Amino acid sequence: MAWQKYSLAFIITAAIFGTAFYIAQRIDAQRIADIRATEENISIDILSSETQFDLLGSLDCSTIAENPVLSDQLNDLASRLSVAEQNLGSTNKEVIQLKQQYSLLEIKDYLLLQQVSQKCKKVKPVFVLYFYSNAGDCPDCSRTGEELSYLRGEYPGLRVYSFDYNLDLSALRTLVALQKLNGPLPAFVINNRPPVYGFKTIEELQALIPELKTLASSTAATSTSGF
Amino acid sequence: MDIGALGIYVCLFIGLYFEVFLLISFFEKRPEKKSANLPSHYPSVAILVPCWNKGATLIPTVESLLSMDYPKDKLKVVIIDDGSTDNTFEAAQTFAGHPQVDIFQKQNEGSKYSALNFGLAHSHSDLVGCLDADSFVAKDALLEMVKAFEDETVMAAAPSMKVNHPKNVLELMQSVEYTFGIFYKKMFDNLAAISVLPGPFSIYRRSLFEKIGGFRKAHHTEDMEMAFRMHANGLKLVNVHTAIVYTNVPKTVPALVRQRTRWSRGYLENSRDYSYMYFNPAYGNFGMLVLPFGLIAFLGGLYSAGYALWHIVSYIVTRFTDMWLTHIPPHLPTPSWQWFYINTNMLTFLIIATLCMTLTAVVLGQRIAKTRLSTLSFISYFALFGFVAPLWLARAAWDTVLSRERGWLV
Repeated sequence: MAWQKYSLAFIITAAIFGTAFYIAQRIDAQRIADIRATEENISIDILSSETQFDLLGSLDCSTIAENPVLSDQLNDLASRLSVAEQNLGSTNKEVIQLKQQYSLLEIKDYLLLQQVSQKCKKVKPVFVLYFYSNAGDCPDCSRTGEELSYLRGEYPGLRVYSFDYNLDLSALRTLVALQKLNGPLPAFVINNRPPVYGFKTIEELQALIPELKTLASSTAATSTSGF
Repeated sequence: MDIGALGIYVCLFIGLYFEVFLLISFFEKRPEKKSANLPSHYPSVAILVPCWNKGATLIPTVESLLSMDYPKDKLKVVIIDDGSTDNTFEAAQTFAGHPQVDIFQKQNEGSKYSALNFGLAHSHSDLVGCLDADSFVAKDALLEMVKAFEDETVMAAAPSMKVNHPKNVLELMQSVEYTFGIFYKKMFDNLAAISVLPGPFSIYRRSLFEKIGGFRKAHHTEDMEMAFRMHANGLKLVNVHTAIVYTNVPKTVPALVRQRTRWSRGYLENSRDYSYMYFNPAYGNFGMLVLPFGLIAFLGGLYSAGYALWHIVSYIVTRFTDMWLTHIPPHLPTPSWQWFYINTNMLTFLIIATLCMTLTAVVLGQRIAKTRLSTLSFISYFALFGFVAPLWLARAAWDTVLSRERGWLV
């Protein structure tokens, strides 16, 4: 018996496994870095928009109204975070940190949008604050995520802010308290109206957002995301 | 990581280990190139051609045997019509009166082993070969085989098998599979662990049958059982990669599944009969590596296919349920080609490594057998094999569990 050969084959196989693990880890690290860079860019963009708004006030609403571009960037970021969460798991520390940062950016974008819409009467945003859980206690949340992604694809002007209800983030807890959320998930706050709870079909959601009719429709659907 | 995925990693580790082991064996002892040397002597050889309903291919099979480069007075072809219901016997009569051909007819007994034993009893030669009546030998195949028997300890030899004129995608797929087989059979030879002496043109020293007896029914895989029995008795069997035989392969999925179910079932049943050889160092690499790996490959293939099927079905059911509950109109997801969205988890790289190893083995098989496969063959293999192989694995497992008898002829 060639025991040396048996051992050598084992070592080489283990080395192949180790290499596969190392490459996958490196790529995941690259993904995290990519998400972090995107979040930093968005953060700068939000700060820039806030500064621009402070500088111009309501004097130049057209400029501000024409550039609410953060929605696309946040959507793209949401898709990337969804991939990272799938690969690394929802309990991964870095994923949780990135989600916290993402949620903060969403809240800041939402607040900026509120400010803009108050000062610039022409700006009539249509938005949904969507609260979900992926802790296994909300079987309808993934379906609702699909519905909102579909609506976002159909109506590019619709802004959807998705929040992981269980995320440990004080700003999020404050938002939840301000919106007086106390029902089961999924929960929605549509254009600052009282919260709506539970699963809705796509027709029911459309009925809950009559403002959709004011938005330009698109036939091209975008990719879906859990965020 | 879920427990199901953990099983896949275990299967991949074992599969990779086996392929690495074979590659190490290849680099340790590369197959010798074909030499122009002739045998030092020419033993008498009888080639048994058992046939059941092979009227369409019997004549070219026998013609290929008769046209081999070998002294005419030393080569005999023994046709055994095993109770055919077609024109096999009439086709055999084409060779009636030929000095090198004996023709027999017997009642079918439900398995090939009886025809082979019949042929053994009705032939008298130093070496005995067999050739399925849908296979064709290269002109120098017997010369190459006979050279192997110059080593007095060699009791049996197996050739390299290629697919005869592959045309449709299923045949092309099998041509890659057979080329892969050429590689691993040669490596099994390096390890003294050949697990089967295939029906197409395996050659035996006649004294072998005096030592360990004739062919057995062996769950309709008498060629496999003979190899197992030889290992059990410490007898030497080799692979002669320079002896080429071309064989017809199933052209349809049902025919292929039937054939492979018989092979897989035979492996399982013979493994049970010879279970004492598993992980037994007394039987060398055959007991320690080849036998256990064959069983693990069977179970692992079944498990991986089941795991993949479960995920595919779950995905489809979930999508349809979601569509039904949400009322979202049917629409295709937009794929993203950015690197970020490409699946790059550890499993992906391990599957790539396994495929690369398999590809390397096929390429080495090509070099060993001096053959060249088309790009379409590779595409057919990598696109189809993963889908059709689970069919026969599942059917063989099902039949074994239920002890269902399907017979040799189905």
